[in-house]
Amino acid sequence: MKLVDLCKSYREGDRTHVVLDRASGEIAAGERVAILGPSGSGKSTLLNLISGIDPPDSGKVLIEGIDIAALPERERTLFRRHRIGFVFQLLNLLPTLTVLENLLLPVELTGGFGPSDEERARALLGEVGLARREDAFPDRLSGGEQQRVAVARALMHRPALVLADEPTGNLDEDTARRVIELLDSLVRADGAALVLVTHARDLARRTDRVLRLTHGALVDGDA
Amino acid sequence: MSRPWAGGSPGRRCRLLAGALALGACGPSEAPVPPRLSLAGVLGGVDTAGYDRAVEPRPIGLPADHGPHPGFRSEWWYLTGNLEGDGGRPFGFQLTIFRASLAPAAPTSASAWATNQAYMAHLALTDPQAGRFLARERFARGAQGLAGASADPLRVWLGDWRLEGGGPGGPSGMTLRASDADLTVELDLEPGKPVVLQGERGLSRKGPRPGNASYYYSLTRMPARGRVVSGKDTIDVAGTAWLDREWSTSVLPDGVVGWDWFALQLDDGWDVMAYRLRRGDGSASPFSEGVVVDPAGRAVGLTWGTDVEVEQTGAWTSPHSGVRYPSGWVLTVPSRGWRLRLEPLMADQELDLSFRYWEGAVTVRGEQRGSGPTGRGYVELTGYDGNPPAR
Amino acid sequence: MSLLRRSSARYHLQHPTQLALTALGVALGVAVVVAVHLAVRSSRAAFRASVETVAGRATHVVTPASGGLDERLIRHIRVDLGIDRAAPIVEGYATSAALPGRVLRVLGVDPFSEAPFRAWAVDGSVGLDVARFVTAADGVMLPAGTAAGAGVRAGDTLPVSVNGRPWTLRVAGLVDPKDALTSEGVRDLLLVDIATAQTILGMTGRLSRIDLWLPDDEAGRQELARVRSVLPPDARLEPAGARADVLRGMIDAFDLNLTALSLLALIFGMFLVYNAMTFSVVRRREMLGGLRALGVTRRQIVGIVLAEAALIGGVGAVLGTLLGVGLGRGLVGMVLRTVNDLWLVVSVERLTLPPVALSGGVLLGILATLVASLPPAVEAATSPPRLARMRSTLEERARRMVPRAAALGSISAVAGVALVGLSTHSLGVSFAALFLLVLGLALLTPLATVVLIGVLRPVASWAGGLLGTMASRGVVTTLSRTAPAVAALVVALSVTVGLGVMIDSFRGTLTRWLDATLQADLYVSLPSVLASRADGTLDPVVVEALIAHPAVEGHSTYRSRDLRLGDRLVRLVAVELDRRGEAGFDFVRTVGDRTFDRFRTGDGVLVSEPLAYRMRLSVEDGLELPTPDGVSRLRVLGVFRDYGSDQGVVMMSRSAFDRLFRDTGVTSLGLFLAPGVDLARVVSELEARVASVGDQAVLVRPTAALREGSLQVFERTFRVTAVLRMLALIVAFVGVLSALMALELERARELGVLRSIGLTPGQVWGLVTTQTGLLGFVAGILSLPIGVVLSIVMIEVINRRSFGWSLDLGVGAAVLAQAVALALVAALLAGLYPAWRMSRASPAAALRGE
Repeated sequence: MKLVDLCKSYREGDRTHVVLDRASGEIAAGERVAILGPSGSGKSTLLNLISGIDPPDSGKVLIEGIDIAALPERERTLFRRHRIGFVFQLLNLLPTLTVLENLLLPVELTGGFGPSDEERARALLGEVGLARREDAFPDRLSGGEQQRVAVARALMHRPALVLADEPTGNLDEDTARRVIELLDSLVRADGAALVLVTHARDLARRTDRVLRLTHGALVDGDA
Repeated sequence: MSRPWAGGSPGRRCRLLAGALALGACGPSEAPVPPRLSLAGVLGGVDTAGYDRAVEPRPIGLPADHGPHPGFRSEWWYLTGNLEGDGGRPFGFQLTIFRASLAPAAPTSASAWATNQAYMAHLALTDPQAGRFLARERFARGAQGLAGASADPLRVWLGDWRLEGGGPGGPSGMTLRASDADLTVELDLEPGKPVVLQGERGLSRKGPRPGNASYYYSLTRMPARGRVVSGKDTIDVAGTAWLDREWSTSVLPDGVVGWDWFALQLDDGWDVMAYRLRRGDGSASPFSEGVVVDPAGRAVGLTWGTDVEVEQTGAWTSPHSGVRYPSGWVLTVPSRGWRLRLEPLMADQELDLSFRYWEGAVTVRGEQRGSGPTGRGYVELTGYDGNPPAR
Repeated sequence: MSLLRRSSARYHLQHPTQLALTALGVALGVAVVVAVHLAVRSSRAAFRASVETVAGRATHVVTPASGGLDERLIRHIRVDLGIDRAAPIVEGYATSAALPGRVLRVLGVDPFSEAPFRAWAVDGSVGLDVARFVTAADGVMLPAGTAAGAGVRAGDTLPVSVNGRPWTLRVAGLVDPKDALTSEGVRDLLLVDIATAQTILGMTGRLSRIDLWLPDDEAGRQELARVRSVLPPDARLEPAGARADVLRGMIDAFDLNLTALSLLALIFGMFLVYNAMTFSVVRRREMLGGLRALGVTRRQIVGIVLAEAALIGGVGAVLGTLLGVGLGRGLVGMVLRTVNDLWLVVSVERLTLPPVALSGGVLLGILATLVASLPPAVEAATSPPRLARMRSTLEERARRMVPRAAALGSISAVAGVALVGLSTHSLGVSFAALFLLVLGLALLTPLATVVLIGVLRPVASWAGGLLGTMASRGVVTTLSRTAPAVAALVVALSVTVGLGVMIDSFRGTLTRWLDATLQADLYVSLPSVLASRADGTLDPVVVEALIAHPAVEGHSTYRSRDLRLGDRLVRLVAVELDRRGEAGFDFVRTVGDRTFDRFRTGDGVLVSEPLAYRMRLSVEDGLELPTPDGVSRLRVLGVFRDYGSDQGVVMMSRSAFDRLFRDTGVTSLGLFLAPGVDLARVVSELEARVASVGDQAVLVRPTAALREGSLQVFERTFRVTAVLRMLALIVAFVGVLSALMALELERARELGVLRSIGLTPGQVWGLVTTQTGLLGFVAGILSLPIGVVLSIVMIEVINRRSFGWSLDLGVGAAVLAQAVALALVAALLAGLYPAWRMSRASPAAALRGE
């Protein structure tokens, strides 16, 4: 994956707020990268651009040689659907679907699920330690449990790239560590690339490489 | 005398006219066609109280008696005849105007529509060369000038179908004008032979009881000249017509289910008429009879079974109604040495109207050489459709 | 079921109140449309059955322009022209003591001419003695059902009253047509012989019409031309359908008005759906945003929302259709009653339930729901996935939309007004304009709401402190939810205001007009079967006896009959006016001071305002009237206000009428009494005089009674409109309830926070009801000017183009107060449930959120 000179700004009232200013970088297949930066530094925006949720004002996002920034909205959505897994800080799960159903949703979006998918979902739930909660609705789970389900779901459809946006933002240290370990091990097991956005250095340290987002640009930085 | 079905039963006539009310149902886009009248349905108790009755002979004088007799329940002017166009193209025609009194007296009302008089008319044309038999009917009340009759001048009409006195036939001649969409009959008629008073000096008895009778006379051979329109053809024609005039109040006797009537105009100048009142078992009522008229107009009555006899020689089933009628006869008058073979001009001369019957032109020839002259005639058959004309 | 669908189904099932109210909105809208449609359709089917059954299979019909045809015309056609299929008809109305409250149609036929025309007349007749039917002057055939209702059988007598005269008819037979439509069409029909009809209807020498059957070919066309050549100048020959069209045309405007009103109800329903769906979308923005992030396409999001809408709409539409059928049963009687009061007697009262209309109702409901849900669906799909969770962005967008909506609304409203100005007479265009105006005004409501809340905020703050400020600010800060709600409420309320003002204005105008017009002290007329028009002829000896009474100082006479003017059926009224009666005319325009001098000499006619409007007549224009001697061209001397006939009235002086129409009959009388006489005593003396000179029963009514009767008819004819207004009020009420309740339920979390920082349950009640009350109040207030604007359009445009009447706008305080009160009550009620729930629930539960 390659990011080339990404620029993005937002209007806030009558002011323009520049978030990304020629951000560039590269992530190899299977590589796990952490992006560090303080709140408001544009980490989430960067993820939105990588995932194609938002188009950049200028610049390119090349994934497997395809500039997804140049794709039309529908193509971008389909690309995201197939190739990317998400873990968010909040509201990862659909409150109106059970835990198992939440896991199956990405598979259904990519063309429907069969018994083998349900098996995988249960296996993943087992791996995140929630095998018994598959029929619960998300609001019955604790924050840590919800994020574990989110991790499992992000990997459910075997994406090439997993994007995690402050996945442990509102978890206690212990729980946060367990969630990150899970994410890490599962991504590794699936051979997917991982982009982890966080402001916690100790979590960032667990990845292969750390990038820092300052003044709208990506720079190499150690933890 | 001819129309036993009509003649003997003025009450039925009245009910038949009344039955005009029951007309109507028809296809959605086609011209409206009246539905069938069930004779049985229109028959019923007949109250003769208040009407004039034909009980004994009375003087019959013209032109007065050509006019209406509203004191009697029923009356008609019945014209049939055989005509020929250029090159001998044969035609038969019928125009009948029926009058009925619906009540003994006219109602008193400020409305000019109020009347006790009702009229019905049938117009038919037989055109065997075109393979065409056309028949129409009309109804009207005797008010507002829609239909009516007068003696002097003679005028009998229903709408624009009319029979009027005078014309080229002289003061005692008549003209007939009637047309519908695709048929027209326009004829000037001369009286021809003198009037033949039927029955006992014009009193024709139909049954055993007094009053079971009508007043009745005929003009048996009226020279006719004019034109007919048959479909799109207009043809000048000439021939002979037969006029029956009859009025009465009473009804036919019990047990009569129908009748066969024959009226022939022979080429040697003689005319003959005979009818059989058929009873339920097929036998002829004793009141069946006939008449022969010599070229000078002298008439001699015939008794059915001895003086005159008819044998059926064929039959025809109507494709319209499915009714099976006799078709072809041998009429025998031993006193004249006639054995006359009668063949319909066309098999299909059924008047498939509100009231259904067969009335058609026939040709006449001796059955063998020397057994009688040739001629033309009309035959009427009623009561074959399962609705007996009498109770 | 796919997971996405399962998810959306669970969402709605978790909010059953919302779901139910949304479905109810659809249901009510659909119910009103279906009910009105069925009622209108049934009344038209009734009309069709009545007119066409009696018309039979005629292809053409000869009718008089006015009065009757000379009966001798039938002889010309049948005998001179030889056209056999021509049937004379004499028609009129009667009542019978044996059938109280029913109007009986008398159809006089010549049975011998009937064969081609009315098969039903005898198709199912039972026990008919035709000879007696024709020769007795009293024979009548009537439908079996009507006979059963009157308790008579063949041979029994049936007392009837025609033009105040008693007659005794004898039942000659029963008509029992086999097919249902004909059976309905002959309901309350008295079939008599034509001579009987002429006698009892007082039409000796005249025919109501002649039915013709002519083949559709060259021969038929030739016959048509021949018939035309023998017609007198005041007779018309036209296809049978054309005559029915003229009659039907009279009720078209009425039907169109009803249908348009019912569509307004559907639009309320759509606003409710729009509001509810927008709400459900807004509420799920975060969830929908998550889905978008997971790779759900925009199209799928639209699909989800529309599928939800279709399902809710489907349920609502089915419910609504069922409800509509029930409602329609109630409405059809009212619609028919109005048709009967105003135009013609139709005697079928069966609700026609065409399956097309029913499935159409369901489809319409679903379609309306989908259309109303399209904006929220698109809204849901187009917002960027992750930004969706940022509520402030949403509200900012909503606020940005306010001026845009206002601009669009202004354009729509201006377009509506322009459309009214551009088209001059088209009713359809007028309704389109009205809808544009309503839409435009609805789009203006968010702006008005913001402004109005700005005005109200200090008041709320003063009265409620910080909570009051919160309540008022909440309206604006949650504009994405409140704006559609307020718009929906304003539309519903303003239409009820508009209708209310229109009805009030009409009533006021009519009352003033009656007061001005009814100048005489007593009015004498025949008992009439049609409330809005006098018919029949007073016996001359009755007239003589009445005006000879010593207390009678002066009198006006009126002769009233139908007149065909082109494709219109109007009233022709001949008057001989007492000087005092002349003051009763309220002229819109006249030729000047000498109007009545010229009128009396027969120099011209006066026309009523509706006629002037429809025929675009003004004073000094020529008006061509068909008379027995040919077309007579008369000058219009004045245009007067008249609310008695929407078809129009041509008024001419008695002398001119007698000369042109050779008719000396009098239909009604106005009597002026000497000053100081005892009214009640004079009335009873006059009644005694009438009774002593003949058997005609007449009504002698003091002016006040006549006025009262007219107002009663008015109330009856507006009952349908009033019912529709009530339905609109109910829809509005449900709308307020559902919109505001949803709004407050949505604030559960916010209220939970407030509760947790120490708000008492009582304060929560206060906060919630203040906010809903504010919204209701704003909607109520906004609906007033909009309602008045709508009523002006309805009065000046719709009403004028429908009926040609000009009404004085009269805005009653009661109508306005009612709208505000309704909005407030509904708003406060809407606050009750959420407030109760919030104050009862533990704050922690509320904080947990969804």
